[in-house]
Amino acid sequence: MSNQERDLGFGVGSSPIAETGSQSSSPNPEPPTPNPTVPSGSTIPPLHRSNLLWVKADLVETLSSASLPLLLEIGCEEIPARFLTDAQKQFGERLRAALEQARLLPVAEEDPASQPPIETYSTPRRLVAHVPWVLATQPDQSEEVMGPPVRVAFDAKGKPTRAAESFAQKNGVRVEDLLKVSTPNGEYLKAKKLTPGRQASTVLKEILPGVITGLAFPKSMYWEPSKTRFVRPIRWILALLGEGDQGHVVAFEVAGVATGNSTYGHRAAGTKPVSVSSFYDYTQKLGELLVQVDPEKRRGRVLDEIEVLLKFPALGVMTGTAKILRAGAGRTDPNERLEAVRSHIRALPDESDLRLITDRDLEDWVVNSTECPHAILGTFEERFLKLPREILITVMRDHQKYFAVESSAGKLQSCFVTVLNVVRDPKGNIRAGHERVLTARFSDAEFFWNADQKVPLRDRLPMLDRVTYQAELGSYGDKVRRMEAIAKSLCSTLQENGKMTRAEADHALRAVQLCKCDLTTQMVQEFTELQGVVGGLYAAYQGEPHEVADAIYDHYKPAGLDDKLPRTIVGAVVSLADKIDSVFAGFAVGLEPTGSSDPFGLRRAGNGIIKLAVEALPGLNLLDLVSVFTEAGAVDLRLPQRPSLEVVSAFLREREEYYLTEAGKLRYDTVRAVIHSHLGWRIPSEALQRGKALEKVRDTQDFGALAAAAKRTHNILKKSAAREDWGSAMGINKSLLTDGPERDLYDAYEASRATLKDLEARCAFEEAFRVLATLRPAVDRFFDKVLVMDQNPEIRANRLQLLGGLRSFVFSRLADLSQIEGSISPSGDGATSGADAGATPNTPD
Amino acid sequence: MPETLQSGTTGLTFQDLILKLSRFWADQGCVLALPYDVEVGAGTMAPETFLRVLGPQPYRVAYVQPSRRPADGRYGENPNRLLKHTQMQVILKPPPENIQQMYLESLSAIGIDLDHHDVRFEEDNWEAPTLGAWGIGWQVMLDGLEISQFTYFQQCGGLDLDPISVELTYGLERITAFQQNVKEVYEIKWNNTFTYGDIRRAEELEFSVYDFEVADPETCREILDRYEREALRVLDSYRALKGPKDDDQRRRFPLRKVYDLCLKCSHLFNILDARGAISVTERVALIARIRKMACRVAEIYVDRLAPVEEAQPA
Repeated sequence: MSNQERDLGFGVGSSPIAETGSQSSSPNPEPPTPNPTVPSGSTIPPLHRSNLLWVKADLVETLSSASLPLLLEIGCEEIPARFLTDAQKQFGERLRAALEQARLLPVAEEDPASQPPIETYSTPRRLVAHVPWVLATQPDQSEEVMGPPVRVAFDAKGKPTRAAESFAQKNGVRVEDLLKVSTPNGEYLKAKKLTPGRQASTVLKEILPGVITGLAFPKSMYWEPSKTRFVRPIRWILALLGEGDQGHVVAFEVAGVATGNSTYGHRAAGTKPVSVSSFYDYTQKLGELLVQVDPEKRRGRVLDEIEVLLKFPALGVMTGTAKILRAGAGRTDPNERLEAVRSHIRALPDESDLRLITDRDLEDWVVNSTECPHAILGTFEERFLKLPREILITVMRDHQKYFAVESSAGKLQSCFVTVLNVVRDPKGNIRAGHERVLTARFSDAEFFWNADQKVPLRDRLPMLDRVTYQAELGSYGDKVRRMEAIAKSLCSTLQENGKMTRAEADHALRAVQLCKCDLTTQMVQEFTELQGVVGGLYAAYQGEPHEVADAIYDHYKPAGLDDKLPRTIVGAVVSLADKIDSVFAGFAVGLEPTGSSDPFGLRRAGNGIIKLAVEALPGLNLLDLVSVFTEAGAVDLRLPQRPSLEVVSAFLREREEYYLTEAGKLRYDTVRAVIHSHLGWRIPSEALQRGKALEKVRDTQDFGALAAAAKRTHNILKKSAAREDWGSAMGINKSLLTDGPERDLYDAYEASRATLKDLEARCAFEEAFRVLATLRPAVDRFFDKVLVMDQNPEIRANRLQLLGGLRSFVFSRLADLSQIEGSISPSGDGATSGADAGATPNTPD
Repeated sequence: MPETLQSGTTGLTFQDLILKLSRFWADQGCVLALPYDVEVGAGTMAPETFLRVLGPQPYRVAYVQPSRRPADGRYGENPNRLLKHTQMQVILKPPPENIQQMYLESLSAIGIDLDHHDVRFEEDNWEAPTLGAWGIGWQVMLDGLEISQFTYFQQCGGLDLDPISVELTYGLERITAFQQNVKEVYEIKWNNTFTYGDIRRAEELEFSVYDFEVADPETCREILDRYEREALRVLDSYRALKGPKDDDQRRRFPLRKVYDLCLKCSHLFNILDARGAISVTERVALIARIRKMACRVAEIYVDRLAPVEEAQPA
């Protein structure tokens, strides 16, 4: 729902959430009755939920005799907020599917506009579906059933046999009504079977229980003897077909709960059931009983209230709202009025400089955990602001579900917004309660902070020897020592390549030493999600250089392909060392990922490694870096077992393929071409560049033909040529080349080699691919006219050498072109296969 | 902040809270049981919950249970954290349909005016891996403060439950601190003469010192192993009691003592855990060993139920 449609009727009068907006979706709307408790000047006439329904008034008219509205509400103990949106959606979809299958909806092909818009709503205590019209009776159904052959069905005298009689009986028709039909196999009997449609209420009582029990939840339970599973116990079911005098309950039972025509309001509105006669009546009464069933209206109310709260923190929502609503007075059109109010809010000067730190997840949670949301502004003592922003926000958002507030300059303010599930807090009791809880939480954090400062990070290093990393891998002390070895190796490479200064390298090694020390702090033991962050904050506070502190702060980043990178090269080095160690350590104790299981989270670590190598440390040769620590490498990390280069490379190569596909957005076969090229995956940033260049040229015609030639070459070299065909010669013997296509190809290939080498050195891959594409005519003519598997072994070997050279330097150096799928076949394919007949099977895969 | 949260009152004392809650649940037909006398990490572990939720007999019980969690020890210095805290534990088997309403009425009974507070049921599923027990439910929030756990038990001792029991636990210190509007738990009035700190601070300090500094991990491991051996030895002897003539032997089988041994193991495990003396893999293995004992106890308890009479509700 757009902002314009948002209901601004919050916090007004004694029944602030009485909603009149939903009535328009009732097919037989009763006249809207203004809520008498709303003070004049602040009433908001109903907003139309859906214009569609007004347009279709005629249609509704014609349908009304033959159709009935259906209202279904599953009353539940509190459904977890995180499941609610999906449950609401599923409810609507399952209901529509069931009604369709039961033929209780008008046939869509006949008139798409006759399809009722199934509206669904939800609160933590209810799932609601409203179908404005279902057919009062199923349409009759006629079908034709084939029976026995006529020659069997009638005897010689033409009298019906047992076969005919039982066929007629089975299908509920008289023998004389049976028809004859000619088929290629002779004449057969046919029955026209008519199934009369049944009444909606009869059908609904059969199908609705399944709609309810079929809802799927990530976690469900049972609670009563029938062992029905649902997300939480069902306490009432409202199932109303028709409305007013004609309305009646669709009688069925789920989990021991019988349906009725009653609902229950918000807990604060009492515990008595309230009977309803129509959807309009339902929303009206629920409004009086403090329930807003529409989550989007609750969202609108929350956002509007917060806006008012932050503009007028001293007034609170009630007074602030009354003041603002005067702006809308005197306008009759609801949308105009709403706009007037909203623009008034925007135009008002800020009484204070407060901005909500928006958080969509938290907003969803708030909407889905309230029936009548009401935002309040609480405050906390200024002194807590000396605790880091990260810790304060984590406590407020993750632990208390509060929105944090900052100034326009981005400075955290000593207040918070929380959304209640009650209409108001006149005495401020609830606000005071929240403030006290937050104060206690912040006091905890303050206590941890002060206690932790008694032992600075640098003195905590020996304590890491007592913190287990993993049973077979020893302590975090061991891990840090391995990370140091990795970081040293990495830093010296980066320094040699001029990518890192001596000072940066020193900072990186210092940061590696300190980065895990926060695991021994009370703060991290309490707020585990802040590991790393706390280390960084403590390091800065304890006078470590800011480069070191920032690197510690960032060293868990990136946590996924979408996460941010460490801000500095120092941080990138620490993060990479951490992740490389995790991978080696995991492989060393057999905790490598298999199938869907990845007990050590190695895939994630691997993704992080590739992302760092591409985006934070471009040009890094990852293969060289990791091979040092493998079985045959120079540095022993002292793991229980040294993984082989083969195993580690295969793992990282796979992660790189994933990265190139997901983050690089490269096509699948482009990724394969790049990874399986001669240059391979070893420099991830360069692999990405080659992939991007390849995507730009691969769809040109010349390139497609070249790719096809690459496949052919690959097949000849791999399948046709036996080892002995290669002979003993090394390199290409020019004197054995025949003039024409063969020598032309050689010359073209020789001529482009220097250019290609230069372009490759400059990483000008796109241009290099374009140069490759110019070889296409020469390649095509060669395959067209020349038989590779010549009778003469010398010539055969020489031609294989030529193809081998082509493969190494043209077809698969920058990218293995034979991996490119859907390549255009080279022209004159017939002639080509003729030339190689007997030597190669038809090449294209 | 307003002077008092409860207009006109300063909140119940700790002991009055216990008395009022006990009265309320006694009036709902609960057996008022006594705190269990073996260390437990949660009220659930007391046999009045662990054993009573097994089998078909309806039962209602309420009891106050001090629970020890060595890892939460803070030497009596942290304003809100306790090594040993006190729960009011209620079991309703099977739960009545209006169970949520009944719970809310219990809050009214201890003076929480529901018209002026925001009580929320927020998803929180409970699991006790050492007991092979888990359930679905909520944490109950009172103006942002977690005051209760509300759980529909699904399994206990590895067995599917039939009927289901609802477990309600109240964090008594928190509720009292909330009602008395005090900043730290030690300022709570236990009665009108003594504070919670007077009664309990020294205990918090001493247990923290022992669990974090003095406890010898090797000794703890050794005792744990011995308790476990003893439990398994006794459990094994039950296997021989199969025939109808063994009915009396089965009745006399000291199952509840074996369960005590299991609880001892669980507590030792918690001490080792607080010391940081357990590695990740060792942790998993230890939990599995304790759960195995608990599950065998549960199986025998259910096995014995049919032929042997258990205490029936009055």
